[in-house]
Amino acid sequence: MTEAASDVAVRGARRWLTPLLWGGLLLGACLGMQHLEGLFRLVETDSRSVIYARADFLTLLGRHLLVVGVAALAAVVIGVGAAVAVTRRAGRDFLPLVAQLASIGQTFPPVAVLALAVPVLGFGTLPIIVALLLYGLLPIVRNTLAGLQGIDPGVREAARGMGMTSGQLLRQVELPLAAPVILAGIRTSVTINIATAAIGATVGASNLGDPIISGIVNGNTAYVLQGALLIGLLALTVDSVFARLQPAASTG
Amino acid sequence: MIELIHVTKRFGETTAVDDISLRVERGELCVLVGTSGCGKSTTLRMINRLIEHSDGEIHIDGQQIREFREESLRRRMGYAIQSTGLFPHWTVERNIGLVPRLLKWPQARIRERVEELMAMLGLPMGEFAGKYPRQLSGGQAQRVGVARALAADPDILLMDEPFGALDPITRETLQEELRDLQSRLQKTIVFVTHDMDEALRLADRLVVMDQGRIKQQGHPLELLREPADDFVESLLGGEDRGLKEAALLSVSERMLPLSPRLLPRERVSQHASLREALSIMLWRHAERLAVVDDEDMPVGELSLRKLVGAKAHD
Repeated sequence: MTEAASDVAVRGARRWLTPLLWGGLLLGACLGMQHLEGLFRLVETDSRSVIYARADFLTLLGRHLLVVGVAALAAVVIGVGAAVAVTRRAGRDFLPLVAQLASIGQTFPPVAVLALAVPVLGFGTLPIIVALLLYGLLPIVRNTLAGLQGIDPGVREAARGMGMTSGQLLRQVELPLAAPVILAGIRTSVTINIATAAIGATVGASNLGDPIISGIVNGNTAYVLQGALLIGLLALTVDSVFARLQPAASTG
Repeated sequence: MIELIHVTKRFGETTAVDDISLRVERGELCVLVGTSGCGKSTTLRMINRLIEHSDGEIHIDGQQIREFREESLRRRMGYAIQSTGLFPHWTVERNIGLVPRLLKWPQARIRERVEELMAMLGLPMGEFAGKYPRQLSGGQAQRVGVARALAADPDILLMDEPFGALDPITRETLQEELRDLQSRLQKTIVFVTHDMDEALRLADRLVVMDQGRIKQQGHPLELLREPADDFVESLLGGEDRGLKEAALLSVSERMLPLSPRLLPRERVSQHASLREALSIMLWRHAERLAVVDDEDMPVGELSLRKLVGAKAHD
């Protein structure tokens, strides 16, 4: 490797240092939880088992990520799509409606959504994905609207006046300019949902919420702490990844 | 050539542009001037269909603009606006190359064209090509805006108060550059402004608008000498009209040939305007000036009587 190339590699690694650090801690905690047994004994002296063992943590982490990821992906597609649609000329009439619906989505507690969704969708991962999707929609819709509306009207006027089609205007000008704000919305949405996803364990969607729910039910504080620790580390990891993505997007 | 025939624009109940007819010849710089809300910007934006006209016909080189696809119509016309509308996430080079890229020119030709334009507008490629709009001064940004409007070498240029937000000195420099460019490129330009001095300085044809109608149009000197009504007269500067007219006339038009008489000490360039000559006379308390050419050689003289155009003797 040449000196310049290694220099770039080093700088790249340093940029990703924080996410790598949190990610490493997260993986380490998943794989080596039993080594902390002594520590958890201190909080939970009279239980026979202090390390949650009904499923292994790595599997729970994977399922947790899957649920949050699918919900986030759907929320981004629906949220950005809706916000873009109501800022077009044809959809402008629906702007207040969409803004309001997104707000309602967030005021509606996810637990209530779960309660309503289970009879319709059954137990498992589907109701929690729906609940997370609704809950995570608002920050994405709100930020996409803010990002698009914050673009200097002169830029849009010039783009149209130069002969850009509306598709070119959206892809080459509006979305790139709004990207940092949209990304901030996705970041908020995902980070909140990583924590919220834990309630999925109450309707049979097994994820990092399992140890917490099981701990509450069995009166085992150690379980609760283990679930909380892993969810916290996951949120920090994902958040630091977004933090790294953001400045890159703004210069795009 | 641009032709508007009985064009009207209504927004709901209000009529923004009311039955105007206007012909801008190839190579002509036509300035629309008037107070805000007089319909001048609306008129301009109807030509590239950013606003659709309600009635009448607009022709470009004999063809109705509605026969073109909106986008292809606009790509045939340069468009420069007051806020520049440069894309903040694109470099100067990419901004200028926008329309050629939309027209799918090959990369090499785009680059060549951008280089040519940047040289033409006094923006050294090495220094400015990679800069972002936020790193430019107001005047530089507006130059980039004009370069972008000229990029695909359109016959028609639409300019909506392009120099309105600039400081007076930069504005004057850019006005001169535009005149200069126009004498070389011979575009058909429609230029909107509310600044009468700018309008008089630039226009081949001056169009005064008020409340959606054309009050008067013609060469600036025609309007100065024979304003159609009080509105046009007051817009043209009322009592100041004499000075505004003098600013449009050059010293060489009124100077006398060299005579055996002793030449006055104070001098003025033959390319200067009568207004500048008058200012020198006032400042130097002189009634006669020597007129000199570019090499500072005397070519004639100018007297105050002659300057003001007095009819008696001489």
